[in-house]
Amino acid sequence: MLVDTEKEITKMHRMLYSTRNEIGKTYYRWRQVAVELAGDNVKPLDVSLRAAEVFGKDIGKSFLPRMNWLKGEEGFLMILAKSLAGLWNTEGGLATIEKGEKPGEIKIKCLRDPWPTWAKEYGAPMEEVAVCRERMYQTILEDVSAFMNVPLKIELQKAIARGEGETVMTLSKVE
Amino acid sequence: MAKTLFEWDYADYPGAKTYPHLFKPIQIGNLMVPNRIKYAATEDNLNGHDGFVTDAGVEYMRQRAIGVVGGLCFMQGVYMDPKRQGQGYVGQAACWDDKFIPGLKRICDAIHKAKAVAGFQLMDCGRVGAVEVDYCHGPSAVPQRLRIFKPVEEMTNADVKTMIQQHADAARRGVEAGFDIMEISGIVGYLISNFISSYTNRRTDEYGGDLRGRMQAVVEIIQGVKDVCGSDVPVGIRLCSEELLDDVRGNTPEESMETYKIAEEAGADYISCTLGWQESIYPVISRDIPMGNWIHLAKRAKEHVSIPVQMAYRLFKPELPNEKIGAGELDQWEICRSMIADPHMPKKVAEGKETEIRHCVACNLCLARLFRDAPMTCYINPVCAHEWQQEFANPKPAEEEKEVMIVGAGPAGLECAYMAASRGHEVHVYDKRDVIGGTLNEAKNAPYGDDELWTCIEYQKVMCEKAGVNFHLGTEVTDDLIEDEMPDTVVLATGPAYSKIEAPGGDSDKIVNLLDVMSDKAEVGETVVMYGNRKPGIGCALHLAKQGKKVTIVGKEKSAGFDVNPSFKWRYMIYMRQNGITVYNDCDIDEITDEGVVVKAYDGIRWPIKCDTVVVSDRGPNESLKKTVQSEGIELFVIGDALIPRNLSSAVHDGYRIGIRL
Ligand SMILES: Cc1cc2nc3c(=O)[nH]c(=O)nc-3n(C[C@H](O)[C@H](O)[C@H](O)COP(=O)(O)OP(=O)(O)OC[C@H]3O[C@@H](n4cnc5c(N)ncnc54)[C@H](O)[C@@H]3O)c2cc1C
Ligand SMILES: Cc1cc2nc3c(=O)[nH]c(=O)nc-3n(C[C@H](O)[C@H](O)[C@H](O)COP(=O)(O)O)c2cc1C
Ligand code: SF4
Repeated sequence: MLVDTEKEITKMHRMLYSTRNEIGKTYYRWRQVAVELAGDNVKPLDVSLRAAEVFGKDIGKSFLPRMNWLKGEEGFLMILAKSLAGLWNTEGGLATIEKGEKPGEIKIKCLRDPWPTWAKEYGAPMEEVAVCRERMYQTILEDVSAFMNVPLKIELQKAIARGEGETVMTLSKVE
Repeated sequence: MAKTLFEWDYADYPGAKTYPHLFKPIQIGNLMVPNRIKYAATEDNLNGHDGFVTDAGVEYMRQRAIGVVGGLCFMQGVYMDPKRQGQGYVGQAACWDDKFIPGLKRICDAIHKAKAVAGFQLMDCGRVGAVEVDYCHGPSAVPQRLRIFKPVEEMTNADVKTMIQQHADAARRGVEAGFDIMEISGIVGYLISNFISSYTNRRTDEYGGDLRGRMQAVVEIIQGVKDVCGSDVPVGIRLCSEELLDDVRGNTPEESMETYKIAEEAGADYISCTLGWQESIYPVISRDIPMGNWIHLAKRAKEHVSIPVQMAYRLFKPELPNEKIGAGELDQWEICRSMIADPHMPKKVAEGKETEIRHCVACNLCLARLFRDAPMTCYINPVCAHEWQQEFANPKPAEEEKEVMIVGAGPAGLECAYMAASRGHEVHVYDKRDVIGGTLNEAKNAPYGDDELWTCIEYQKVMCEKAGVNFHLGTEVTDDLIEDEMPDTVVLATGPAYSKIEAPGGDSDKIVNLLDVMSDKAEVGETVVMYGNRKPGIGCALHLAKQGKKVTIVGKEKSAGFDVNPSFKWRYMIYMRQNGITVYNDCDIDEITDEGVVVKAYDGIRWPIKCDTVVVSDRGPNESLKKTVQSEGIELFVIGDALIPRNLSSAVHDGYRIGIRL
């Protein structure tokens, strides 16, 4: 029985999309639970920001085995930026990296981000998406900075809340 | 005048003539040690979870003490803090209170009984510690690279001073227990090395900063320990000659040599040259690293210090250490895993019985067990950690002599054969091959050090000859032969049955067996699909990839090499990547076509892979001959891969267990 390649790829593609979609939605379902349990005195954005910190802490740990100084500071920053962009791509984004204007600065650009769509669907505030990503990345950097003994920062330069256009962040060393 | 504890004269030992440099005395501090052999400290997880010494631990050490024939025999590193942050292993011996002295004395007495020099080791596991508590401690709170380790708490200045005092207190207890020589362990990323390394020490007080600052705690520990040990008990230290931490900005090799000089200045009586951290990305002691790979580091150490230099690290045979000691490039031969695998290894060297050594195969299962909170086990030595169980370690002669037919001269059959024969049975081993060794004849051809697996067969051959085992090679055992011979017992050690590919095209002439591939009997095309993702398949895939072939592994297991222990498995993953091998796990072959194969994942997704040859490495239990033996009412045992396809270790352990039971 020959393989119908088109059929198999379609099947895989569909599965990939629905898996991503379910993961995104699961986040918002849990967010709902957390917001409800937190009560009226806690702002939903604070819940989301705390979640970003928890995620960032754990993802930061998973980055450490890959961190490598053998190619010097620039090489290290490139590996790190690639990992951050890679994270976004796995979630269904379209992120790339490029050298920034200043020496030692790397730009992470994202042209397509699935999160705002889910946020809208679950009635979560639009602005938190980019802000949460910034917070998550900052938390990732905490462990990486401490591990490599290099203070690092990430700054949100431009955010398109609806997930169209371009979100830009810069990764650099704290001077 | 240096003190001699026990008189040893090696004049009548043949090994002392072959390896004269190993059997000449050496002075360490004020102690004269009769030879150059040292059993290096080895954690064994055999103590109680409260840190008290057990019978198992004492008997384990007794055998190693006999093994060093008068040399140095070190017990495992003890942890010294009551908060247990320095405890790296659940069964690590403790020494934070005088109440531990009687137990430690039992180990010391056992070593002395063998007329060996008893060594005590102080080992705070630092970043790798806190197995029973929530936080380990270190000079700075540098996050852990590996998730299995606990978060690090930065020690205050007062904590550092307490820790230094704890070393001195524990040393005093060691001396009171009767130990003759003291060692501070700064090995593989434990607390001492955490203080020394620029990677983990970011302190700004007197215990951090430049290399002198980072060495300050070590200097104070050496001085404190020396004070309590006095002039009779020498104090040595194990220090990294290379941290292998360039990727995280650790110390340079030059800095490491500087630490040796500072330790000597502080009063250390010898240096034990170690290498790498558990966090290093480079392998140091696994089988893929050739024996003797690191010995040049001892020579470099000797160029920097004038006190004796000791070193281990893949020095599994006596030739190299003997040569290097003779050349003045090393002073003492440290041995760890070779004496886990065979506690009497150096004794056998001394007695000229080298062929009777059961060699370590550098698989690192012993280490993997410790990290999984399990008692020490050795892949190749079934008695390891069972020394205290007399009926297991020294089984009695058989009550009734039996005629035993063993089918298969692989490692399982051979192990069973010599054990059974040495207990008085009449043992006949049959193999349809003309040679002994079973599947290891092929397995030894896999790259990255697998030739060392063959040492097991060399050992078993000698033991079988000694025990008077009868061999019938080139003889296939059939139902008729069993009925003709009618032995009292049959042991089926026939190895695995190789799987048939049940999918359409399963009779294709593209399909070959991995044993034929490994022995160059099969013709293999340029593109290959390996069916089976356990170690035999991986070994064969690497063998073919080394010949320039494009190999894809397709296997049913969820992760490739799940049968390889985790301390070694990561190496194979890297080698497969380096050799361009693609792996599809959790998959089966759905069809074999003219172009290649169709692979089917667990979820039904199918895709084609082009290939010229399909190699079968997937195995199942071997049912042949069982029915006949059972129907004749003959006692039956099935061992090794014939029972369940596993590995060399299970073959040896099964063989031993049945060999002592018959
Ligand atoms: C390429 C490769 C790589 C491997 N790598 C490793 C590794 O890294 N680590 C590891 O631990 N293991 C490894 N293995 C597995 C290891 O070789 C086996 O697990 C081990 O040899 C099993 O031993 P055994 O004695 O049970 O069977 P075998 O070694 O298979 O011996 C069985 C013997 O029985 C004989 N026999 C069978 N039927 C009859 C009969 N009717 N009459 C007479 N004789 C008979 C056979 O000829 C054979 O000699 C590897 C195997 C291969 C092929
Ligand atoms: C199971 C195991 C336990 C060990 N425990 C200790 C220990 O307690 N203290 C120490 O300084 N080194 C310890 N080591 C390191 C060894 O002493 C030795 O330096 C290392 O294994 C390299 O030598 P080898 O190639 O002869 O095994 C241990 C090694 C192993 C394999
Ligand atoms: S378990 Fe493996 S590495 Fe450890 S001593 Fe035994 S054979 Fe050697």
